[in-house]
Amino acid sequence: MTYTPVIETVALSKSYDRVQALRSLDLSVKPHRITAFLGPNGAGKSTTIRILLGIVRPTKGKGFLLGQPVDQGESVRLRARIAYVSDNKQLYDYMTVEQMIRFSRSFYTDWRPDIERTLLKTYELPIKRRIAVLSKGMRTKLALLLAFARNPELMILDEPSDGLDPVGVEQMLESLVARSAEGITIFFSSHQISEVERIADHVCLLNRGVLALDLSMDKIRESYRRIDLVFPATPDESDFRIAGVESIRTSGRQLSLMVSRNADTLIDRARKLEASSIQVSPASLRDVFLETVKEA
Amino acid sequence: MLWYKAWLETRSRFFIALTLCVVLCAQLVIVLSRGEPPSGTISVLNGVHATLVIVWSLSIVLLMMGGLLREKASGSVQYTLALPVSRLRLMLTRIGMGLVQSVALAILPWIAMLFAGRAAGKPIFISQAGFHVFLLLTGGAVFIALALLISCVVEGEYTAPIVSLGVIVMLAYALSSRSLSRYSPSVYMMGFPYLDRHTSYLAGPLPWLRAGLYMLTAVLLTGIAIRVIQKRDF
Amino acid sequence: MLFRLNPTGGQPLYLQLMEQIRHAIENGSLQHGDQLPGIRTLAQELVVSPTTIAKAYAELEHEGLLDLRQGSGAFISATARLSEKDRILHAKRRIRRLVEDLRQAGLRDDEVRRIFEAELLSPSEALISR
Repeated sequence: MTYTPVIETVALSKSYDRVQALRSLDLSVKPHRITAFLGPNGAGKSTTIRILLGIVRPTKGKGFLLGQPVDQGESVRLRARIAYVSDNKQLYDYMTVEQMIRFSRSFYTDWRPDIERTLLKTYELPIKRRIAVLSKGMRTKLALLLAFARNPELMILDEPSDGLDPVGVEQMLESLVARSAEGITIFFSSHQISEVERIADHVCLLNRGVLALDLSMDKIRESYRRIDLVFPATPDESDFRIAGVESIRTSGRQLSLMVSRNADTLIDRARKLEASSIQVSPASLRDVFLETVKEA
Repeated sequence: MLWYKAWLETRSRFFIALTLCVVLCAQLVIVLSRGEPPSGTISVLNGVHATLVIVWSLSIVLLMMGGLLREKASGSVQYTLALPVSRLRLMLTRIGMGLVQSVALAILPWIAMLFAGRAAGKPIFISQAGFHVFLLLTGGAVFIALALLISCVVEGEYTAPIVSLGVIVMLAYALSSRSLSRYSPSVYMMGFPYLDRHTSYLAGPLPWLRAGLYMLTAVLLTGIAIRVIQKRDF
Repeated sequence: MLFRLNPTGGQPLYLQLMEQIRHAIENGSLQHGDQLPGIRTLAQELVVSPTTIAKAYAELEHEGLLDLRQGSGAFISATARLSEKDRILHAKRRIRRLVEDLRQAGLRDDEVRRIFEAELLSPSEALISR
C-alpha cells in the first residue's frame, strides 16, 4: 500500500553553536495511526518538532510535512492543516480562557464547536479566568482543547500529559483515541512510557540526534523478549552475540539478554550450552527503551 | 484577530501613556487659567510641547515593547509561530497597532490643548497645532522604528525597552552639539529650528525634506527589523 | 461487554482482543446477531488505538466470526458459535491427551507449565510469515 508520509525528514541535522541537537535524522511517519516519539532528554525531539513547524531552521537536510517541504518560505497553509501543542503549553497570560478560545478559533476553518463545548465541560475550564492565574494542569487542558477542538490532518503533541493529574491523563488519552478514530494522524512525544504502551501503534525512538528505533508496538510485543539464563559456570557473552540480540548483560553466572527476534535459536543454544535455568518473558517498552539508549 | 491580540497586549500601557499626556495638558489649562503668563502663552505652549515630546518618546518605547522575542522569554512564542500566519503578518500587525497608538498619543493631547486654549480664552491656531504634531510624528517615526528594531534583537521580557530608552537618550545627547543638532530627531521634534525668533511661533513651510529623510530612515530600520525576525530561529 | 487488554503482556493488543471476543462467543456471552461496539466507541472505552480495534475486527471477519456491515457496525456472524465451540472442544481434548503423555514421561506439572508458557510467548509461525 502506498502512502505519503505525514512527516518525513531526510538527513535532518541541527547544530546550536557547538552542540549537535540532530545528526542526520531520517524519520518517516505514516498517516492514520498513532505514532509516539520517544527519547531521553536532549535527544532532539522538541528540536525536530520545531523544525517541522518552521520555528527553527535546520542546519542540513530536509523536512516534509504532509508531503510539502517545510523550509519553503513560511509554510503558512501547512500550519492550517495541523494542530500543535507545545512542550511548555504557554499561551497568552493577558487573555482569559474565553478570549484565548475565540482567538484560536478565528484562525481555523476546521474548528469543532461541539468538541469545544464538550471539552470545556469535561475539563471544567473557568472561561472568565485569566490565563496568568491558571494552574499548570488547567493551562495544559486549555492548550489541549485548542488542538482537539479541530479537524486537522495531523496532530503534533509535545508531552501532552505534562502537568495533568491521573484523571486528566485519562481524559486526554480518550480524546486522542477518539480523534484518531476519525482519521487524524497523531504524532506525540512523551516521557510516560505507560501511556505510550497503551495507545501507540508505532514508536520512533530518538537518541543523541538520530533515530535509534522505528518499530510497531505489535512487533515489539510479538518479537521482543527478555531471556534470563543461569549457567553452572560463568558464561561467555560471545556465544550469544548473534543476529537479533540487542543487549547482553552478565552478572556472575547469570546472563540477561534482550532479543528482537530469533528467541528460539537462542533458547536452543542456551540448552546446548547446558543452561540450568531459562526464563523467557515479554520485553516491555521500558526495557526496549532503556536497553537501546544504554547500548548507544 | 491579531489586531485584537495586539490591542489586549498593549492597552494598559497605552492608557497609562495617554493619562500622562492628558495630565500634561491639564498643566497647560491650569497655567493659562491663571491669567497671561509672564513669558507669553506661546512659550508656555512650546514648553508643554517639549515635555510632550519627551513623554511621547518614553511612551512609544513602552508601546513598541513586545513581539516574538518577548514572547520567547515568556514562553508563548511556540504557540504564536505555529499559527497559520506568516511572520510578516505578525510583525505588520504589531507595527500597525504601535503606529495607531503613537499617532493617537500625538494628536489627542494637542486636540485637548486646542480646547483648553479656547476655554481659557487664549485660542491656539490650528496650524500651529498641526505643525507641532507634524514635527512630533515625522521625527518620532525614527524612534518608533529604533524601538521596534531593538525589540527584535534584544532578548528578554524587559530588557528591550531599557535598551531602547538608552539608545534614544544617547542619540539625543550625541546629536545635541551645535554642529550635529541639525541631524537630531529630538531637537527637530521639539521645533527649535523652526521657532520664529521674535514671535516664538513655528514659522515657515513644513520641513518636508527633513521629514521625508526621517521617514525613510524609519522605513529602512523597520525593514531590517522584519528581515531579522523572518530569518531567526526561535 | 467487558474486555481487558494488557499493554505489557507480550502479546499484540489486537490478538488479545480477538481472543477475548472468541472466548465470549465460546461461552455464550456473545451470540450470533449481537452487535459489538463501534471502533471509535470501543477504542475510547478501552483507551487503546482504534487501529487495534479495527485490526481485530478485520481479522475476525476474515475468520468468519464477524460480519462488518458498512455503516451499521460489527455483528457476530451466524456461523460463529458452532465452529468456535467445536474448535475449543477439540483443542481441550488434544491438550488433555498431551498432558497425560508428558506426565507419563515423568515430567512434573510445574515443568509442563513452564514449557507451555515459554512456548506461548514465542510468536506463532502463521504470524511471522505474514
